[in-house]
Amino acid sequence: MKRIFILLILITHTQFGWGNGVYVEGQSGAQMGLAHVALGYQWSQNHYLGAGLGYVPDRSDHEEMSLMSFSYLYSGSTRWTIADGWAIKPFNFGTSLIIASHSDLFVSLPEQYPDEYYTPTAVRLLFHYQLAVTYGQQWDAYVDFSILDVGLASYIREPEFFNRHYDYLGLEGVTHWGVGVRYRF
Amino acid sequence: MIRIWFLLSLALLTGCQFQVSPWETDVNCPGMSVEENLRRLEALEQASGSKAFYQVAILSDPQQYPGAFEDTIKIVNRLDDVDFILLLGDLAQTGVKAEFEWVCKAMQSSKKPILPVIGNHDALSFGNDIWLDVFGPLDYSFEYQNSKFVGYNDNKYEYDNVPDRGWLAQQAEVAAGELRYHTIGFSHIAPWKDDTQLSAFLQDAGYDLMLHGHEHNFDLWHLYDVDLEHYIAPDTKEKRFGLLSVYPDQLVLENCDKSCYQPTARVLNVDNVNNESKTSAEP
Repeated sequence: MKRIFILLILITHTQFGWGNGVYVEGQSGAQMGLAHVALGYQWSQNHYLGAGLGYVPDRSDHEEMSLMSFSYLYSGSTRWTIADGWAIKPFNFGTSLIIASHSDLFVSLPEQYPDEYYTPTAVRLLFHYQLAVTYGQQWDAYVDFSILDVGLASYIREPEFFNRHYDYLGLEGVTHWGVGVRYRF
Repeated sequence: MIRIWFLLSLALLTGCQFQVSPWETDVNCPGMSVEENLRRLEALEQASGSKAFYQVAILSDPQQYPGAFEDTIKIVNRLDDVDFILLLGDLAQTGVKAEFEWVCKAMQSSKKPILPVIGNHDALSFGNDIWLDVFGPLDYSFEYQNSKFVGYNDNKYEYDNVPDRGWLAQQAEVAAGELRYHTIGFSHIAPWKDDTQLSAFLQDAGYDLMLHGHEHNFDLWHLYDVDLEHYIAPDTKEKRFGLLSVYPDQLVLENCDKSCYQPTARVLNVDNVNNESKTSAEP
């Protein structure tokens, strides 16, 4: 996993240089790891594509785990200026493919199972909404709200169930938050 | 506009959880352990005394549709003769924390004790740890109204050496002087096709009926040369479930859908009697 990440850094560096839309970001939570770092490329004003590594240490509610991510973010052009150099970017939506590395999870089906018995348990899809505060042309700080694949599917199938039991149109039951910082070179 | 957007985001921020990954294991599901539900059932038995008849609702495979599962539970709540619910596994689809928490929300709407067994999907990811923490044992048994119910784990791809045949035989044994009407086993998966001896083993051990899920549709079968019936309950997506009526000398199974939504006439009569008593007691 680390080799792939290093390879991505090298490709990004050699193809695009450190300017021209390359960005790095650090994040915590929103189901991307307790700590998550990513490197990516902004190929227009609105589109970001990145790859990252996340880590969760051994905790009472979580096994130690690393994870790899591939993300796409659409960042809307709307800016609300709040002070000199500072603005809010309210419309940022994205998706991430995360692949966890742990012996209890699998990407390819272990031998004991018949073909196609399960989908991979280590591979999950997240859907994001980010509320970002931007400073100048280079810095973004954001709150990330993410929804897991099964969360989105369940919410679409049975919105009344989530409305019944959770606040904010039921979104409380499927959404998890995190915070992050993005720097554009 | 900025303030409204900010306040909305802040509100969502305070409502939802900070979660480091989908694979956290600290599921919030108070009051749903097997131990707590068995205590509720014991209290019910003590309050009602000896019964010549009661019913058991058999629900299974609520994964991916917690709302339909909750609706099914609410239907069962209206059936006065149902004393408890057997939940035959696959509460979750991928074994992650969120799925268990949604199902737990639905289970908390039950007015009746719920006794679950683990399904193969529940054991995925870190589901085994979650199950042990939230619900408790993978194999357990209990007695109710002189019948014994034996729940066991038979998810052979996820666990080694299951089901535990020695333990199953031990649970079916009737002690000297014990009054036992029926011995009923329940698990997620019916005996596998390549395990032709298990049904015969269970019959020889003394089981009268086996209840399972996993197949998502109603079924009832027994092997050609074994008389032990295996009943399969469907998933709850369409609010279907099995209904087991237990008499001292008889077990009756019904496939339930909308036709089971209304209380039976006998239950209505009981209500009428109570109403008449109340009316006549008034001055």
